Amino acid sequence: MDQLTDVFTAISHPTRRAIIGRLANGPARFLDIAQPFDLALNAVTKHLKLLERAGLIEREKQGREVLISLRPEPLRQVAGWVHEYERFWTERIDLFEDHFRKQQKETVSRTGKVNPKEKKP
Amino acid sequence: MSESKNTIEVRVERTIPASSAEVFDGWLDPKVPGNPWNKADKLILDPQVDGMFYWNFSGTPHFGRFTEVQRPAKISHTWMSPNTAGLESTVVITFQQKEQGTLMTLVHSGLPDSDAGRSHEKGWNYFLSAFPEQFAKK
Repeated sequence: MDQLTDVFTAISHPTRRAIIGRLANGPARFLDIAQPFDLALNAVTKHLKLLERAGLIEREKQGREVLISLRPEPLRQVAGWVHEYERFWTERIDLFEDHFRKQQKETVSRTGKVNPKEKKP
Repeated sequence: MSESKNTIEVRVERTIPASSAEVFDGWLDPKVPGNPWNKADKLILDPQVDGMFYWNFSGTPHFGRFTEVQRPAKISHTWMSPNTAGLESTVVITFQQKEQGTLMTLVHSGLPDSDAGRSHEKGWNYFLSAFPEQFAKK
């Protein structure tokens, strides 16, 4: 498989995106990375392997410890792949969704109902 | 996003917490944020089959013709702008009522596969904004 596919696979899972987010703050040890997740350690190991295959992390031995750090460069490949219209529509639909979420919150706080009946046109 | 020859298709899916009729009407109401008609410098909008739209946004004109308007399930129209480089691209939006709200699927096809469309810098900014906050801070 090509690297772009590996990168997309790597960032397709929320846990791996959270790991990338964690490593964006600086290198960390394996147990520190695993700690916030309610996962078996070998599941974390599998996630890290996929990130490593995509070239998104590297391991460096420092004395007795192994530090894992982020290599964000492959993410730029993904960025180059994103079409301007993908960005355009995603931004527009984000705003559109926000509008309905705000409306839903207002309705819930007013009526206590989650699913208000549809308004008559 | 999938590709065929020299054109590209962009697909965005989202579940909106409202009924399909509300989401459909919201998509055609220029007052609702996020739809393509909102915040226009100049807008002409006639959402019926063979009706036309003209949407000028930040000095960029967009125009097209509605080809399907089926409340509350589907809207399709053509889309031309400087970014489509003379090609008449197609936008199809479908609205499917689900338990949690309305699954909205937008497919924009027939887009030219040009470098201008794949702006690296803009793509990168998009990517960062879509990423967790702590990543953007770096």
